Amino acid sequence: MEEIKNRVLQVLTDGNLDYRQKKHHLAYIAESTQDYPDISKEATEALNEKIICDLFEGNAPYRPRYVLPDYAYALKNGVNYLELEPPTNFDEAINFLSILYVQVPSITGYSVYLGNIDTLLLDYVGDLSEDEIYKKMKLFWRFIDRTLPDAFVHINIGPEDNVIARVILRIERELKQVVPNLTLKYDPEITSDELLLEASKTVFEVAKPHIANHKMTAADFKGDYGVVSCYNSLPVGGGSHTLIRLNLKKITDLHSGDAESFISGTLKKYCKMTLDVIEARSKYLVESVKYYDTDFLAKEGIISLDNFSAMFGFYGLAECVNQLMKRSGKELIYGKDEEANQLAHLILEEMKKILDAREVPYCKGNNGKAFFHAQSGIDIDIEETAGARIPIGIEPDIYSHINTVAPHHHLFNGGISDIFHFDETVKRNPAAILDIIKGAFRKGMRMFTFNLSNGEFIRITGYLVRRSDLKEFREEGSRYGSALFAANSMDNANVDNRVSKRVISNEQVAGKY
Amino acid sequence: MSKLQANISGIIKSSVIDGPGNRMVIFFQECNLNCMYCHNSHTIGLCNLCGTCVDTCPTNSLKIDSENKRIIHNENTCTRCDECIKVCPENSSPFYKQMSVEDIICEILEVKDFISGITVSGGEVMLHAPFLSLLFQEIKSHPDLKHLSILIDSNGNINQEKWDSLLPLIDGVMLDIKAYSAKTHKQITGYSNEKILKSIEYLNDKNKLKELRFVLTPDYNNDESELREIAKLMKSVSPNVGKTLIKMRNHGIRKEFSFLREASNEEMNFAKDIFGQADIDILVI
Repeated sequence: MEEIKNRVLQVLTDGNLDYRQKKHHLAYIAESTQDYPDISKEATEALNEKIICDLFEGNAPYRPRYVLPDYAYALKNGVNYLELEPPTNFDEAINFLSILYVQVPSITGYSVYLGNIDTLLLDYVGDLSEDEIYKKMKLFWRFIDRTLPDAFVHINIGPEDNVIARVILRIERELKQVVPNLTLKYDPEITSDELLLEASKTVFEVAKPHIANHKMTAADFKGDYGVVSCYNSLPVGGGSHTLIRLNLKKITDLHSGDAESFISGTLKKYCKMTLDVIEARSKYLVESVKYYDTDFLAKEGIISLDNFSAMFGFYGLAECVNQLMKRSGKELIYGKDEEANQLAHLILEEMKKILDAREVPYCKGNNGKAFFHAQSGIDIDIEETAGARIPIGIEPDIYSHINTVAPHHHLFNGGISDIFHFDETVKRNPAAILDIIKGAFRKGMRMFTFNLSNGEFIRITGYLVRRSDLKEFREEGSRYGSALFAANSMDNANVDNRVSKRVISNEQVAGKY
Repeated sequence: MSKLQANISGIIKSSVIDGPGNRMVIFFQECNLNCMYCHNSHTIGLCNLCGTCVDTCPTNSLKIDSENKRIIHNENTCTRCDECIKVCPENSSPFYKQMSVEDIICEILEVKDFISGITVSGGEVMLHAPFLSLLFQEIKSHPDLKHLSILIDSNGNINQEKWDSLLPLIDGVMLDIKAYSAKTHKQITGYSNEKILKSIEYLNDKNKLKELRFVLTPDYNNDESELREIAKLMKSVSPNVGKTLIKMRNHGIRKEFSFLREASNEEMNFAKDIFGQADIDILVI
């Protein structure tokens, strides 16, 4: 009790946290008084040792990690709980969504998904001129940034070219806000080159949107999908109960044999253990907390348990492969040498097989299986490279980079990311970016994210921070919850040199208290 | 396929500055001008196996292969200090390679999914017109490559008929004009500009002039009358031809030309104004 009191006091008196941030951390401390969902002793040890990492989701999950409301359904049917009638025009639709967004839970406390916004609003455009839409959307965008100040808050546009998508890109370039994070769903057969060009020019200014390979991603889902938080693709009207990630570097450290015995033994054992944790947490949320029986989103059909699954993530593939190579007497490196790349593919394919062979309860959203996700890192990852990425600083030329990672992108129905860097000169010739994106998608990449060197916006893997916010945060705290992770990431992973790790959620902050 | 070979000084598989979109650029060895500010002066000449570079190399990474009349370069020991290039009396390099059309096609196939097209550059690429003709025909008849655009980056110092076989195969030519007055042109490049002016007119007539560039070199081609002539020339070509005013940068030019100086902001603005007065839409870089 004394310990809890001290942790609470520390939060209460931390001048770098605002009122809402304090409440979030206090809730985390309260949650930590509960016993962890029922898992084996071995799994508990793996969690303690951070071999398996639950991303500070807390001891007693009482809301899903990622929730993707079916906003189209809500707009059509209204929301009784919030006493909202279906909107009849553009203003009402924006007002409706603004109210609903604030009510959507997630692991960070802020909704990680705000919908495929252009598609949602197009029905309400009526005879509004582009200029009128622009003015309304600009206010809406400011509302989102100021009310949901967390870089994991994510909105989608595309794949069709339309006036709202274009207006949003224009507003993004003008406002230069961190929030919302943005993905353009791109399909060469549907999306115009002009829209992709506009999107690329927007990346030059604000390092977003990400470009998602729409055709490839859509094929993995029964219904609509959304790209949320940091490159997580999940079913609309559902989401993910939890995301548990396996540290491939640490399990390689524990393993004493060769690559073959790693794959057939250690890897298998820890994948199973990770799935056990996923299962226990999902069950707790569904059976003990009864979230899906009680929350208004579920009761009103805006989400449905049947559209949920859970996410199996991993990180540190590069370190795992390089170490196994070294043990076999070969100084071959992932991202550089073909034999190492092949071993990486083999490990990932094996993991996917293990996932696909295991039925996990309450995962109907992915046919009873967990989603496979290359997790893009958090601020505490010092020795491990995010997901399946090539370590920062040793990335090969862009074609080799794409050719190394593209062959395994198809495995990750839960999302994967690799970040590419371009020199400023490309600003004069943005068509070059289009060529490379199209080429990357032809090679099977699921997601393409790029940055310009020396931009004001720094992508900390999946989310963005402004250089100036980071500086400010170090001195006096920041309005954005995510700035702290970024500051930690910068300290831990040379993000200044390039862009490195993604940081995931507010629980990490809470975990510090 | 033909046994014809060309000396290739380098291939860049991704360039965003050699025409629209992402392009593969193939650089050919040997040039028929000798511009003072040339930034790739090692692509001007051809190796005559004199051995100066072999004797100079601090890591002994170069060897003469007299039988095959070439220099063997050991990439494992070479530190790319470029001493060999600095001492070469021929403005050449031990690094260029002979390649066939087939070799180049293989290189393009590797990156075809990522590019809008290819650009051939130099040196002076038009010295290899027969090779280019074969290369372009091969690209245009290849099912996986025929969609690629083809651009030529040339100095234009070539007889008019050399263009004829290539024009139907290409999308355009990017060309420099170093000076309008023949005298100034000779000072800067060592040669007269008669053929170049004809090339500009001819390519413009054939609708194949893509870009016309002018490199501002203070104390040589920046006096008012010279600039007005250049402006007149730029005005005489189609408005669809991209026009670019380039500030000469003295980084990387040969030691003997280190006296060249970069234009000041005032000098750049002066030139820009003259093009502006002639109502020319010009990109300044």
